[in-house]
Amino acid sequence: MMQIFTLAAKDIKLMVRDKAGFFFTFIFPIIIAVLFGSVFSSGGGTRTFTVLAVDEDNTGPSAEFLETLNNASEINITKSERTGAEESVRKGKYVAFVALKKGFGEASEKVFFGGPPEIEIGVDPSRKAEAAMLQGILLKYGSERFQNAFSDSDKMHSSVSSAKKSLADDGSLSEPMRNNLDRLYTDLDRFFVKEKELNTEISDESSSSENLGMADVMKPLSINVTDVAREKTGPTNAYYVSFPQGILWGILSVAATFGLSIVIERTRGTMQRLRMAPVSLGHILAGKALACFISIIGVSIILLLLAYIVFKVVPASILMIAMAVTASAVAFTGIMVLLSVLGKTERAVGGVGWSVLLVMSMIGGGMVPLIFMPEWMQRIGAISPIKWAIISLEGALWRNFSLQEMLLPCNILVCTGVITFLLGVVVIRKRELA
Amino acid sequence: MLKLLDVSKSFGEIKAVCNLSLEIKPGEIFGLLGPNGAGKTTTVNMSVGLLKPDSGSIIIGENGSPASAKDRLQIGVATQALAIYEDLSAEENLIFFGKMNGVRGAKLKERVDWALDFVSLDNRRKGKPDEFSGGMKRRLNLACSILHDPDLIFMDEPTVGVDPQTRNTIFEKIKVLNNKGKTIIYITHYMEEAEQLCDRVAVIDNGRVHALDTVDSLIKSHGGKPVVSIRSNGDSESFETDDPLGKLAELKQANVNGRISIDYPNLERVFLNLTGRKLRD
Repeated sequence: MMQIFTLAAKDIKLMVRDKAGFFFTFIFPIIIAVLFGSVFSSGGGTRTFTVLAVDEDNTGPSAEFLETLNNASEINITKSERTGAEESVRKGKYVAFVALKKGFGEASEKVFFGGPPEIEIGVDPSRKAEAAMLQGILLKYGSERFQNAFSDSDKMHSSVSSAKKSLADDGSLSEPMRNNLDRLYTDLDRFFVKEKELNTEISDESSSSENLGMADVMKPLSINVTDVAREKTGPTNAYYVSFPQGILWGILSVAATFGLSIVIERTRGTMQRLRMAPVSLGHILAGKALACFISIIGVSIILLLLAYIVFKVVPASILMIAMAVTASAVAFTGIMVLLSVLGKTERAVGGVGWSVLLVMSMIGGGMVPLIFMPEWMQRIGAISPIKWAIISLEGALWRNFSLQEMLLPCNILVCTGVITFLLGVVVIRKRELA
Repeated sequence: MLKLLDVSKSFGEIKAVCNLSLEIKPGEIFGLLGPNGAGKTTTVNMSVGLLKPDSGSIIIGENGSPASAKDRLQIGVATQALAIYEDLSAEENLIFFGKMNGVRGAKLKERVDWALDFVSLDNRRKGKPDEFSGGMKRRLNLACSILHDPDLIFMDEPTVGVDPQTRNTIFEKIKVLNNKGKTIIYITHYMEEAEQLCDRVAVIDNGRVHALDTVDSLIKSHGGKPVVSIRSNGDSESFETDDPLGKLAELKQANVNGRISIDYPNLERVFLNLTGRKLRD
């Protein structure tokens, strides 16, 4: 038994002294966790981007619309001249520019005739997604402006009067059409005058919410967005999501390092010397496994402490996090032993081992969160122990899993560890004791 | 000290060792001489428990077995490869392998100091092997093999890739160990080394022992007679004779021109005569 601890202590010492191994085991996971955490948490969780605004109309309504956009939470507006705006977008400094075309103000006043106010969007072709978002944002505020116009009886009265005047001047319309439109405008005008009188009376009597104004009548849909609180507490910051990923990268690095160390022992002759000592092959592998297990636990604890101290990531349950880390350590210790037999040389095991781990990480959500993956890939991800390790870590960190809920990922991880360990040991015994 | 009785080992179709029998006496330096692929390393690996023989038996000491961890404590192996950790200091390497061989506490400290002194690395105890010369690494490798004070020490080609000075140092250390009563099994394909060091030598090829005796007896029985050769203008002529100096005088009297040399029988000739090929074939 003492020999197993001696072997484990030696392996941990070697791992810590290996500068590249130390970087990938301790520093790289922190970089991943902090980087992803920062990316996910930028802007307090709301995606914003800055666009250039060109006011070619320079009227009250155009300035008013730009002010509305400037106050919007989704985008930031920077005013610019047309030429400068085009140049900046072409050079990739900005995603897009928005130009309010000449006549924007005049068109805004004419609700019932003439063309709509015109806006031009100039976009960087490589940023289609942001361009689509921008169109949606402009439509949203354009609709609001249109809706607000209907709520202003004076403005509507004036607009209808202007429309009637324009109708009289327009010689392109047929007589029956002109008569129909004239009747419509006359009725609308009467309606808005009456609506103003009614609104005045209602506001004098009460401010009951059941009384509907014109703006409400004109709404195509009444959509109310209600925030439904999750049954379980969500992560309070993005580092709750990024640190499980970071921990997994640390674990992968430990597994790869120790898997490779078995091959290095074999190729450089130290395995032979160890096997000539009065210890069995089982002792030697147990020592390796113990060192790997302790290192995984150590790396996880260091990263969790860093997350707690610097990024205020507080585990929902210490017991659950201990379960998750232990189960993950068992799984990747077993995987480490199996990785070591994937080739006979250091280069082969290093290459194949990392390839396997990267694919596992890719499909298991170690690189990109599972939610961003296509459904078929999410289903495939179930075969990756990384998925279960992340689920168990998230379950303990912020998903507030019950013991029952923790058992599934933890059991899968432990079974994976035991099976891969046994498979690896069988192959190593076959090779060593030939 | 070590007995191999009718031992055989095959790897698939290849018979590495065939019905090999050897008995190494306590306190001797025993040479296993043969070319690469002769079956020397397979014989050693079976003797130290790394490989199981297909048939036959191996006895360590009185009645021990290489399969037994306890009995393996009597064995030390200076491997051909440098089986040391480059990222551990010389002292850490020795402490680690000492512990793995069951040496602990004050005894371990004492043995580490002795081993470092024995291989003249006591002033580099904190140094790491990646800062050492090839000869220093080879000496540390030897120290790791003998730290637990084994009675039977295998030296598997310990002079591969070392300079003549280190080679002589290693020879001295081997003789010191032997003088302390340690049994040495020296594996080599250099006949000069076997001649210089070994009390008895087994000539091995194709997994079989072709001859086993003292160096002198082997040469006497299988080395043939001394050969006097004359080389002149691209031609050469050789004479086997029991009296090479007499033959030399005879040739001088006859005013024979050319370069004259005398080749006395050695282990190379023994190997050639026994197997029909040279040691370096």
